[in-house]
Amino acid sequence: MKILVTVKEVATVEDEFEIEGTEIADQYLGADLNEWDDYAVEEAVQLQEAGVADEVVTVTIGPEDCEQTIRQALAKGADRAVRVWDDSLEGVDLLDVNAKTEILSAVVEEEDPDLILTGVQAGDDSFGATGVSLAEEVGYQWGAVVNHLEHEFDGDVASVRRELEGGVEELTDIELPAALTIQTGINEPRYASLRGIRQAQRKELDVKNLADLDVDESAVDSDLELTDMYEPESESDVTVWEGSADDTAAELGELLRDKGVAP
Amino acid sequence: MDFALSAEQQQIRDMVSEFVDEEIVPVADEIDHEDEFPQDLVDEMADLGLMGMPFPEEYGGAGLDYHSYAIGLEEISRGSGGLGTVVAAHTSLAGNMLYEFGDDAQLEEYLTPLAAGEDVGAFALSEAGAGSDVPAMETMAEKDGDEYVINGGKLWISNGSVADTVTVFAKTDPEAGNKGISSFVVRPEEDDGFIVENTEEKLGDKGCPTAELRFDDLRIPEDRLLGAEGDGFVQALKTLNGGRITIAARSIGIARAAFDEARDYAGEREQFGQPIGEFQSIKHKLADMDTKIQAARMLMHKAADKKIRGENFIKDSAQAKLYASEISREVANEGIQIHGGYGYTKDFPAERFYRDAKLNEIYEGTSEVLRNTIGDQLLDN
Ligand SMILES: Cc1cc2nc3c(=O)[nH]c(=O)nc-3n(C[C@H](O)[C@H](O)[C@H](O)COP(=O)(O)OP(=O)(O)OC[C@H]3O[C@@H](n4cnc5c(N)ncnc54)[C@H](O)[C@@H]3O)c2cc1C
Repeated sequence: MKILVTVKEVATVEDEFEIEGTEIADQYLGADLNEWDDYAVEEAVQLQEAGVADEVVTVTIGPEDCEQTIRQALAKGADRAVRVWDDSLEGVDLLDVNAKTEILSAVVEEEDPDLILTGVQAGDDSFGATGVSLAEEVGYQWGAVVNHLEHEFDGDVASVRRELEGGVEELTDIELPAALTIQTGINEPRYASLRGIRQAQRKELDVKNLADLDVDESAVDSDLELTDMYEPESESDVTVWEGSADDTAAELGELLRDKGVAP
Repeated sequence: MDFALSAEQQQIRDMVSEFVDEEIVPVADEIDHEDEFPQDLVDEMADLGLMGMPFPEEYGGAGLDYHSYAIGLEEISRGSGGLGTVVAAHTSLAGNMLYEFGDDAQLEEYLTPLAAGEDVGAFALSEAGAGSDVPAMETMAEKDGDEYVINGGKLWISNGSVADTVTVFAKTDPEAGNKGISSFVVRPEEDDGFIVENTEEKLGDKGCPTAELRFDDLRIPEDRLLGAEGDGFVQALKTLNGGRITIAARSIGIARAAFDEARDYAGEREQFGQPIGEFQSIKHKLADMDTKIQAARMLMHKAADKKIRGENFIKDSAQAKLYASEISREVANEGIQIHGGYGYTKDFPAERFYRDAKLNEIYEGTSEVLRNTIGDQLLDN
């Protein structure tokens, strides 16, 4: 089985920051591997270690700067990486889901994976749509918000557990080829070992532009416009009870019920 | 001249730093309090390759260059000074004795499990009457057929009570002064006559057991000799030269921890209606602390660079260790000062950094002895 994992470098923000126009000012930004993708990579590597997958390939849309982040995924055990970048992407403020879908689907056509693992969402843009949209575009089955994947595959069927709202979970059998969007907590992502880090520097990292993938530059255009960004006002208040737990626990219970936190 | 880390070195630093923040920092206080060898952490570190950083992969190591190794040790020590000593004594001292002076069979049998972190190593040179004055040692190794019989004792041996492999120095020719010292691989589990007398109660460096060892007719096969008879003194000096780079790293790691805490505190603590960091005297302290750390780092990497190039680095590693160890104590001291009364209590880690830093000026060559070493090198040239 061949697994394709989408890996994104996301912007991370310091605790204190300032917004300039529709962006967070540069000096408050860092970069890291998207948290959800870290879990997706771990799941793929575990499937490889279990002998289920024979190749794990990562795909990233991003400039050369993000190669260090891609190498993190290689250091944790992915076999090779594809990075897509193009001059036409250089000035784009907001790469929307349609554009990502079109670019990634071209990579899926080239790689022809049996299983695609994406994060549920990216920590910075939080569209939460790319994995499912990609599956739809390439005609794969899909499962969203997967928090458990059976490592014993029954033929061409992936058995997954999905997280629904309100603490409900659902078991689903999904026929391959399929795309699964992976939820945090599905596993415990490893630290890259020192050997893994050294090997990662020598692993294949293929760079492609849109022409290489037969994707038209117009794919990058977006109907979506970012109009504003701000920090919402937050309200908080505190209730403090004096006295022993015996006396005050009931009052706390009542307050929680009142606020709708407890049933 | 290039002062930038390579992509690989950056990734190594980032990985170890994340491991330290998530796994070591949260338990550092407990290690300091309990003073127990942190076996679980050592096992986790072994899985990541952190117990064999500079050794080739064919011997179970991670194959890092000496810069990367020093960076790794700096990060580990930023989390816990005791753990820094555990790794430094295991790797720079015991591991390097085997790697530099072991034959093929010894590399295979003793270095490989050490570098993989399955075994823990210790380096037993100092004795009650022989610290700075190494040739004053009294431990004896007598040849008996195809065995050596070791009698004597060692003091202050880091990892000594938990080690699987101990490189022990003993006199094979008591008349020959420093040319009569030889080194041996001792295996506490297999070798009768290896006795752990005691472990020290110390000011700091908690979690790394500092053991007093006694050898009572300890018999080992002759193939445990490292190199040739009489080589021991030179082997020890060479090993300590490399080791000093990592004591510089331990010093810098502790100093950084002290600095980071002090800077954060200076931003939070308010007196006279403003954060104390806005008082010029506190700001200047922080400036001096960071400047010293940066300078120590330069010296450390310069020594590592010369070692990698195969040049004589005796003076460089002595200078790196001397300077880094002294500034680690100074920076940790100012760290307490910036914390005021809180810094003197165990509610904050500032006092732990100070206790851990002090050791840097004592082991692997005291500051006084290193000034002799540096002076000798200056006057010889
Ligand atoms: C926590 C800890 C861990 C240790 N781990 C190890 C280990 O793993 N393996 C090991 O073999 N040893 C280890 N040591 C021992 C350490 O290396 C010695 O303590 C150190 O070399 C100093 O020796 P000493 O204590 O006998 O002091 P001494 O040599 O007695 O020195 C006392 C004082 O005299 C000064 N002095 C001595 N000679 C001179 C001179 N020629 N010129 C000027 N001043 C001089 C010293 O600088 C010092 O200030 C450890 C020590 C400690 C405290």
